[in-house]
Amino acid sequence: MERIINDIVEPEDLKKYELLYNDQTRRGHASDKAQFDYAWCLVRSKYLEDMKRGVALFEDLIRRAKDDIERRDYLYYMSIGYTKIKEYQQALTYVKALLKIEPNNYQALELEKYIEKKMKKEGIMGIAIVSGAVLALGGLIGLGVAMSKK
Amino acid sequence: MAAGPYNYSYIFKYIIIGDMGVGKSCLLHQFTEKKFMADCPHTIGVEFGTRIIEVSGQKIKLQIWDTAGQERFRAVTRSYYRGAAGALMVYDITRRSTYNHLSSWLTDARNLTNPNTVIFLIGNKSDLEAQRDVTYEEAKQFADENECSAKTGDNVEDAFLDTAKKIYQNIQDGSLDLNAAESGVQHKPATPRNPLNTDQTPSKEGCAC
Repeated sequence: MERIINDIVEPEDLKKYELLYNDQTRRGHASDKAQFDYAWCLVRSKYLEDMKRGVALFEDLIRRAKDDIERRDYLYYMSIGYTKIKEYQQALTYVKALLKIEPNNYQALELEKYIEKKMKKEGIMGIAIVSGAVLALGGLIGLGVAMSKK
Repeated sequence: MAAGPYNYSYIFKYIIIGDMGVGKSCLLHQFTEKKFMADCPHTIGVEFGTRIIEVSGQKIKLQIWDTAGQERFRAVTRSYYRGAAGALMVYDITRRSTYNHLSSWLTDARNLTNPNTVIFLIGNKSDLEAQRDVTYEEAKQFADENECSAKTGDNVEDAFLDTAKKIYQNIQDGSLDLNAAESGVQHKPATPRNPLNTDQTPSKEGCAC
């Protein structure tokens, strides 16, 4: 999964599909295909803004999805996008939605595992920071109690 | 990837291509995990797998990109062809349409890979002999090929290994330039190389097809 998450788009591909998409948009309406190709390149960009834009384009596509196959394709890349942005809760929501459509989807199961591992790792760090704050707060309360007893 | 001791001396990049439902992902899983995935859903975009093999006493790491057969993914999966040392082109022996589409897959493979890329034809689902729709002889005329079954695992090893042997042979006889940007082969990797694309005119010679 690591390799898929860290897969970076070739800049020339990104440029190519960006031009196609922008060109169609300028003429009035970008096709779903142009939007899909561009979004897929964007989520594999190394720039945060691109990833966010890619996810937004998939969010737009999914509203028009015709069937579950289309929906699951978009959900997968939304989840990948959010994983890269490190918004793991969102990433997990989308991969779980995908697993509702295809409970045995190997790629989705691997992605879910990857996200949960990341959440656990970064969650522990989060707890460490929070508990540090609690200790400090406890100290203050203790001080307050000590002072009120005077 | 940090520089460190490697237990292989080459990396070969492979791609697996072909129509939807011919069993590309099942081949990958059978090869990398020696397991058959029944009810394998259609691949989303691309999948990735690796395995270390041995050819002529050399340890080689195969990095395999398995592409989705769905039309929706066709445009973007093309970018994964670049810098492939081997391309496994798969059809389903029980569905003639998947065989008929091979010429289109072959055109893509030839146009998007380098002249030395080894293209290997695979007729999958050989366990379903009763439903056969394409004869071995016919496919053999089209190309040197290998029939296998991702389900039983029959010949799956050979498909991947024979391709590697051919690539290794191309390195040995000097027809594959390891320094070329898109050879698809890395020798004793110390740092990962970012294969920057260069313009190239596709002229295929000496491929297995």
